[in-house]
Amino acid sequence: MDSYESTHQHIASSRLKDYFIGATPLQKRLESVRKQTSFVPTPPRRKIPQCSQLQEDNDPQKVAFLLHKQWTLYSLTPLYKFSYTNLKEYASLLSAFIAAEKQKGLAVEVGEDFNIKVTFSTLLGMKGTQRDPEAFLVQILSKSQLPSENREHKVLWTGWFCCIFGDSLLETVSEDFTCVPLFLANGAETNTAIVGTWFQKTFDCYFSPLAINAFNLSWMAAMWTACKMDQYMAATEFLWSVPCSPQSLDISYAIHPEDAKALWDSVHKTPGEVTQEEVDLFMDCLYSHFHRHFKIHLSATRLVRVSTSVASAHTDGKIKILCHKYLIGVLAYLTELAIFQID
Amino acid sequence: MDETVAEFFKRTILKIPMTEMMTILKAWDFLSEKQLQNVNFRQRKESLVQDLVLLCEKKRASVHDAALLDIVCEDIDLFDMEQFKSSFKKILQRALKNVMVSFRDAEENAVWIRIAWGTQYRKPNQYKPVYVVYYSQTPYAFTSSCPLRSNIPLLGQALTVASNHHKIVKMDLRSRYLDSLKAIVFKQYNQTFETYNSTTPLQEKSLELDIHMDSRIIHENRIEKERVQRVTQETFGDYSQPRLEFAQYKLETKFKSDFNGDILAERKEPLRCLIKFSSPHLLEALKSLAPAGIADAPLSPLLTCIPNKGMNYFKIKDK
Repeated sequence: MDSYESTHQHIASSRLKDYFIGATPLQKRLESVRKQTSFVPTPPRRKIPQCSQLQEDNDPQKVAFLLHKQWTLYSLTPLYKFSYTNLKEYASLLSAFIAAEKQKGLAVEVGEDFNIKVTFSTLLGMKGTQRDPEAFLVQILSKSQLPSENREHKVLWTGWFCCIFGDSLLETVSEDFTCVPLFLANGAETNTAIVGTWFQKTFDCYFSPLAINAFNLSWMAAMWTACKMDQYMAATEFLWSVPCSPQSLDISYAIHPEDAKALWDSVHKTPGEVTQEEVDLFMDCLYSHFHRHFKIHLSATRLVRVSTSVASAHTDGKIKILCHKYLIGVLAYLTELAIFQID
Repeated sequence: MDETVAEFFKRTILKIPMTEMMTILKAWDFLSEKQLQNVNFRQRKESLVQDLVLLCEKKRASVHDAALLDIVCEDIDLFDMEQFKSSFKKILQRALKNVMVSFRDAEENAVWIRIAWGTQYRKPNQYKPVYVVYYSQTPYAFTSSCPLRSNIPLLGQALTVASNHHKIVKMDLRSRYLDSLKAIVFKQYNQTFETYNSTTPLQEKSLELDIHMDSRIIHENRIEKERVQRVTQETFGDYSQPRLEFAQYKLETKFKSDFNGDILAERKEPLRCLIKFSSPHLLEALKSLAPAGIADAPLSPLLTCIPNKGMNYFKIKDK
């Protein structure tokens, strides 16, 4: 049952992709205009995240450090002539680059004048299908100056690159390219900028911040609410920003996770999948419950953040994944958004 | 003496606390020193009052004399600030070994109290004090958040006992602006100091509407916009709102929807929600919602009742 639905979804999304590639110049222009508005031509249905076969292989301990951390998201165009066998070389090149940048006086943080060490490593099991390229991790660590603490390396910055169910992108590029469209960073902005610059120069690629609009946030809220959880760690929470002047107003709406699930179950009709109608109805129910009490139309305001026991996401392109079981599922959606932004 | 006058005397004298009785009667200067000396001030208050009223009758006190006595009561601050301070301090010091209490008199019969808490073995922490502002002429006190929650009941008790009240109740009203809390609690927010012509502003507002549109459209729009403006004004008034930063609602209500009838129809349990509104100036923001088309007018009473009820924390359940 699962594998059937999985293929079904890929065919649907790649067909959409083909449509746009074969489009006329006018259609392409229309499509790019549409992208600038908040409308996203998205597949009308998505699979509910399940614990994928590949993920079962990866060691929860090894990826535990990815959870409960806030990551800033970027989309990344395919890397030209990137090789997994050269990771050690990349590490020393990047390390030298960072040192040079800091010497130039660019992006120097006051008080941080110690030696740094850069590592590149692969993250096994962080993929959707076997076709997806291996995910890899870059870290900047500080090397303590004191001889007694020689062994200790404090992680200053982490960034990782992955591709989860990236077939639609993989199909379009030649073998010289490595597709890791989703980039997640944690640490100082300045370090993200330096690492980004080096990658752009070395692999002729381009980073772009990945914002998440209200439409996709609603989808995420619905999908993550649909995930089966043994126990709930947190309430299902939404944050809206109200465009009123002169004072800003934020409205936070948290529902007990069991009640959110009950609402979702009442709305949900198609097993294993989430459809557009279901997302709309789910959100509509939340809006109408709120309106009944406060007479305020939440639909006229801007959704900026959603948070569930699975993960939380902010419109500025920030994500925090809270549940190991659905890590791949969350990344799959983000990969989809990243790929869409690249095209 | 007229019965009503006698009653007036009785009630006025009853209001005077025993500790102030002599002071007030002397200040009133109606009963002579000699007469007062003959009164037994150690008896029960009811009996004392009876004796005093009899004395007044004998001296043919009039209703004007009673009125004067009333004024004297108002004039003399029956609340003894020094006694309050000393009592408050004693209560805390008796209960806790290490506590430092400081006072500062402020305007409007207010006293600012600063309390630095210590523990059995540690000196008072000067960097995490609690501040209390007590308005002696009112039954209200305002406190800053207490880092050691275990001290809160003691603080309440000290305030209650020192101020001669029976009990203290925590209000569901919190803000960073003491002036706003005062405005709400003392109901001072709806005073307009400027003379206000109620007709002109509305007329000005309706003229602002785009007059280049089709006349039929204007007509419908104008009526609704004016209605919204009017209702908003009736609800919020024309004065500037007291400044609050948030309002929080804990809802336990069943889901009901006109359009989505079968959703959760069989579920008996309510939806448990926690809703929080935050803004640098909450009431002004709420006031702007209906005119902006984001909310209906009138706005929900759950929101508009905040200043009137003096609450910004609510628990709402189905009836």
